[in-house]
Amino acid sequence: MSRVAIIGVGWYGFKPSTPEVHFQGMMFESSSRAYADANVDPRKDVDVFVDCQEDMWEGIAIADEFAPEPIGGALRPTFTVAGDGLLGVAHAYMLINSGLANVVAVEAHGKPSEIKTLNDIYYFAFDPLHLRPLPTGNPFFLAGLDAQAYMARTGTPRESLALVASKNRSQGLLNERAPYAARITLDDVLRAPYAIYPMSEYEISRFSDASVTVVLASEEVARKFTDRIVWLDGIGFNTEVGTGAVELHQWGRMPSMRQAALMAYKMARIEGSPSRYFSLAEVEDRFSFMELLALEETMIAPEGQAHVSLEAGDYDFNGPLPVNPSGGSLAMGIQLEATGLGRLVEAVLQLRGEAGQHQVKGARRALVASWRGVPSYTSAVAVLSSEVNS
Amino acid sequence: MSWDKDWRTSEIIFWPEREEVDKYVYTPGISGQELAKALMDGRVLGIKCKDGQVYVPPKTYCPDFSQGELVEIRGPWRLLHYTVVYEDLYGNRLQNPIVIGIIKPDDASNGLIHIVNAELERLRPGMELKPVFKPKDQRKGIITDIDHFEPV
Repeated sequence: MSRVAIIGVGWYGFKPSTPEVHFQGMMFESSSRAYADANVDPRKDVDVFVDCQEDMWEGIAIADEFAPEPIGGALRPTFTVAGDGLLGVAHAYMLINSGLANVVAVEAHGKPSEIKTLNDIYYFAFDPLHLRPLPTGNPFFLAGLDAQAYMARTGTPRESLALVASKNRSQGLLNERAPYAARITLDDVLRAPYAIYPMSEYEISRFSDASVTVVLASEEVARKFTDRIVWLDGIGFNTEVGTGAVELHQWGRMPSMRQAALMAYKMARIEGSPSRYFSLAEVEDRFSFMELLALEETMIAPEGQAHVSLEAGDYDFNGPLPVNPSGGSLAMGIQLEATGLGRLVEAVLQLRGEAGQHQVKGARRALVASWRGVPSYTSAVAVLSSEVNS
Repeated sequence: MSWDKDWRTSEIIFWPEREEVDKYVYTPGISGQELAKALMDGRVLGIKCKDGQVYVPPKTYCPDFSQGELVEIRGPWRLLHYTVVYEDLYGNRLQNPIVIGIIKPDDASNGLIHIVNAELERLRPGMELKPVFKPKDQRKGIITDIDHFEPV
């Protein structure tokens, strides 16, 4: 059973719109960059290609048939995953760890700027008879319900949610992939009217276009291509009730993320407190409360206590555990199925010491936790490490 | 060539009139069929699972993969969680905010998602609500046969 290495990453976009390329063009751009970064020839060196996308986001039925050529996978083993890019990485892990493949490429993309009916597609994901017909005004109301339930259960004050937004949007100013970064103060957030109670518009991530490609390899093969290796020590994935039964969701919790974390930690053989294990965390924050909930479900913080550490500055860029030094989705935007891979790229660059102005000093171990977003209850968690920085 | 991208949007061609297809026929399933009849009759059903838990609305199967039995939900209903939508997905302020709640009947383990007609200041988790059905001739066997929930 081989260790699994991440040997290359490539990205394109992370902009509010990208009219200069079509979605296949974006896939080609990020993949060309990843193969250059990994020093691999996709036509010779990559054994399997995994593409993460969803038909309705593309506006094309059977869009998986569009996958192979733009990522170099024509007439090679290629398959698609209708889910967040981090789920594709889980497939890559299995292919390599089982010995079926030596090198696997994973691509995910999202081009929300081109989806004229984005609101309708969100509603299209709801149960057609028991949820979709309700005049709810905004599909993200589901996050409002979770936020209110989370605050009621844990006693987390409104100010803590606002602090997440202020921290992440400001932190993103140092990240070139963060179009929605801005100097936002706690007061700015608290003074803004609610968009979806209990959150203002500052606390709800916007959308951006991006394509991300990641190249993974077995330990033996990885060393032939690069010495800038980041290890994928563990990866977990889980779905709670699914969107066919949203009513059965445990409101104010994300049990799928907890299960995904337990799976990933077991693989990575993490014992004791995960909060002391990691140098940084890139966790789900498309809604402000989700950062705090994600930190609790990944057991970085004890239940209901994430806001205490946040207020103490523990998750600041210069704190003991920087959380979302990239600025998170609040600054980078949501790139649909590429959101999790975007955060994986952030973690990889940090562990290679290549994160530029937002480099966390001496970063050696990183946590990445993604959620597929409303109206899904699917999560994935990855544990990464590297010796490049030591 | 990939390095030679157009960068002025005026030179890029769009087809803004194209839209995604959205016409489908949905069948309600075995339990959904019974729920449809009940809703048209002004009643709500749940499914009682092997472990004794009762869920609304009833699915044809239970979360533990067992086949449950349909039971009538009698209430009383209480507000478990709520949110208020002030803006749509594109950031436009709504003329009237929409209150959405998880409304849990005492005789079920979970709650329905539905619209709550109540003054914002009066909203309290735990408050008792009742379903208000549409007039019988307007019911279709779907969730909107209940027009909204309101305080008792």
